[in-house]
Amino acid sequence: MNALLLLAPLLLPWLAAGVLLSLRRRPAAQVLSIAWIFGGLEIGALGALVVAAARHAQAWSDYLRADALTAFFLLTTGLVFGLVLLYAAGYMRRVPPGRFASLPWFYALLFVFLGTIVGVYLAANLGLMWILMEGTTLASVLLVGFYNTERAVEAGWKYLIVCTVGLALGLFGTIAFYLAAVRGGVGTAHALDWLTLLRNAKHLGNTPRLLELGWVFLAVGYGTKVGLVPMHSWLPDAHAEAPSPVSAMLSAALLNCALYALIRFQEIASGALGSAYSRHVLLALGLVSALVGAMLMLVQRDLKRLFAYSSIEHMGIVATGLGLGGAWGVYGALLQILNHALAKCLMFFAAGNVRERYHEARMVRIRGLGTTMPLTASALVLGGVALAGLPPFGLFASEFAILRQAFDHHPAAGLLLLALLSVVFAALARHLQGMLGGRPVIPPTGPGEAAGGLVAMGICLALLLLLGLHLPGSVHSLLQRAVAVIRS
Amino acid sequence: MVMTMTPLFGIAAARLLGSAAALLFLTVLAMAAARRIGTCILAYGCQSALLAAEVFAVAYVRHSAAAWVVGAMVLVVKTAALPWALLFLVRRLGVAPRLEVRVAPMPSAFATAALIFFSFTAVQGFASELHARENLLAASVALMLSGMWLMITHRLALMQVLGVLVLENGIFLAALATTFGMPLVIEAGVTFDLLIGVLLMGLLAFRIRDTFEHLDVSRLRRLRG
Repeated sequence: MNALLLLAPLLLPWLAAGVLLSLRRRPAAQVLSIAWIFGGLEIGALGALVVAAARHAQAWSDYLRADALTAFFLLTTGLVFGLVLLYAAGYMRRVPPGRFASLPWFYALLFVFLGTIVGVYLAANLGLMWILMEGTTLASVLLVGFYNTERAVEAGWKYLIVCTVGLALGLFGTIAFYLAAVRGGVGTAHALDWLTLLRNAKHLGNTPRLLELGWVFLAVGYGTKVGLVPMHSWLPDAHAEAPSPVSAMLSAALLNCALYALIRFQEIASGALGSAYSRHVLLALGLVSALVGAMLMLVQRDLKRLFAYSSIEHMGIVATGLGLGGAWGVYGALLQILNHALAKCLMFFAAGNVRERYHEARMVRIRGLGTTMPLTASALVLGGVALAGLPPFGLFASEFAILRQAFDHHPAAGLLLLALLSVVFAALARHLQGMLGGRPVIPPTGPGEAAGGLVAMGICLALLLLLGLHLPGSVHSLLQRAVAVIRS
Repeated sequence: MVMTMTPLFGIAAARLLGSAAALLFLTVLAMAAARRIGTCILAYGCQSALLAAEVFAVAYVRHSAAAWVVGAMVLVVKTAALPWALLFLVRRLGVAPRLEVRVAPMPSAFATAALIFFSFTAVQGFASELHARENLLAASVALMLSGMWLMITHRLALMQVLGVLVLENGIFLAALATTFGMPLVIEAGVTFDLLIGVLLMGLLAFRIRDTFEHLDVSRLRRLRG
């Protein structure tokens, strides 16, 4: 039973990719329906695992494990993937020519990308987690470069090189933890098991300098993948040049996945060294990322780059919440992850609609959105309100929780965050306001909004509103169990 | 460390473990001073062969079946397949054999020597805490640093690939020098990732050449801000 629960969501995407690639000569409608069938199966499998793992930790062999924290992240990922499938059906009507650029390849790569992300969450072995994390880069690089233009190729190359080097440093950090475990008396066969390391954290503390070194390397390595400043250089390029459904996957699924790895290592590090050291590293990286991300939002000229920098800023806030620790800080950080995923899906979907319609992403060239695409324009405005952390949307609640923790223990950090939120508001208001009014500079000739995309954006908004007004009891209890895993 | 039935080979194997560090430094210096891309690829092949020899030495001394497999994997993938793939890319991409560098070969070699010196000072504190051979640990740090040095001093896209490979060799050596390597399954997975990674980097190199008509990554600067 456990085997089925854990293996089904891990292997289904690979099966889907194989089937999709065998359909390369078939009509688009057939490819789409197969993708949707497998998408539905995968989301069902993820749902079953989330329900089971939220109650009791599930494990299979030495390599796969899912507890409440895994369940929370899988819930977010499943939600995002469903929304992306819904949106992609309408968005991918125009596929550029080129190798690896066809509808079956797009969906196959998307499924492989999902499979590697799910794999990171399920990995019980820290080495396996690293292998699958590198797998997420490899699976998504062709999606980032999907359009095969000069800009897309450059973004793809930068993404592959920067993330590979970053993760290589993360591997060095993983080896440092492994070494500390072996020196602490854990057998080599189990010295990469997360649970074993957590239980033997005290013994790992015998070589504190090694662990500190390892943690810094891990924070830099996996932090590269989270997009924390100053390792963020790949993120705006990749998010801006990828097709919009892929941008949404990167921002709402991939960044969380790297954060998850950091959380797992941080638990071991704080068990071995006391929580202060590892938390301070996260806090510093988080505050710098939030600061730089918010400031750079002010000067962006490209719509999707604006939202990419907003992702850096939000990942900074999440890292700050984790770095602050405490019940409110961690709870807020996890809730922020879910809220941010929904808000960023909404924004990248809307930005994709705009780019398709205007064949343009430079914001000065986009005018008159309010009249040409009223629904997308309203989504952008409401999403902007949500991203700025204003009520009634969910991000208000999660940022409030983080701020509360900050003002209790690090008032300076709280003040900085509060100031940054107003900068973010100013940036979003300035950029969005310009695009809504006026007359189009270039006549919008592209296709209008697809129905599937509008439904996806509506779901995002409805869920954000729900999370802001009344957090459902089941989500709340899942979050509390996940927090308990972190703070156990 | 378990001594073997035939002590002569055991001692020879242990000697090899120690003296390989000096040879590894040579490969790194050769890469930094190289004027032709073929030299760099050859130096990488030699470096990987040295690593394979070290793994075999560990396998022999510790009677570890898993280590024999890892050694064979290193031999096949890193000394044969990857250098061959790089040479294939050089030929098919029509890369000029002479390297265009940002830092002239001699200063670059001096900088690498300085990096090697720095690695020795960096690992001094850790080597005693970890009961590891200081020169091997220093070699691993030197490989990592010089891999990054190659990446920032060269303009050619393929040299960045080579830089990543050298960096990865350094990390592999770090695991080998301190814990006789990670478990087989993990090493196999990491090597597999490396293979796919180089495959994709090669694919993207073709795309860079086809869209930009050059392979100079310092001239990829459309995306700013």
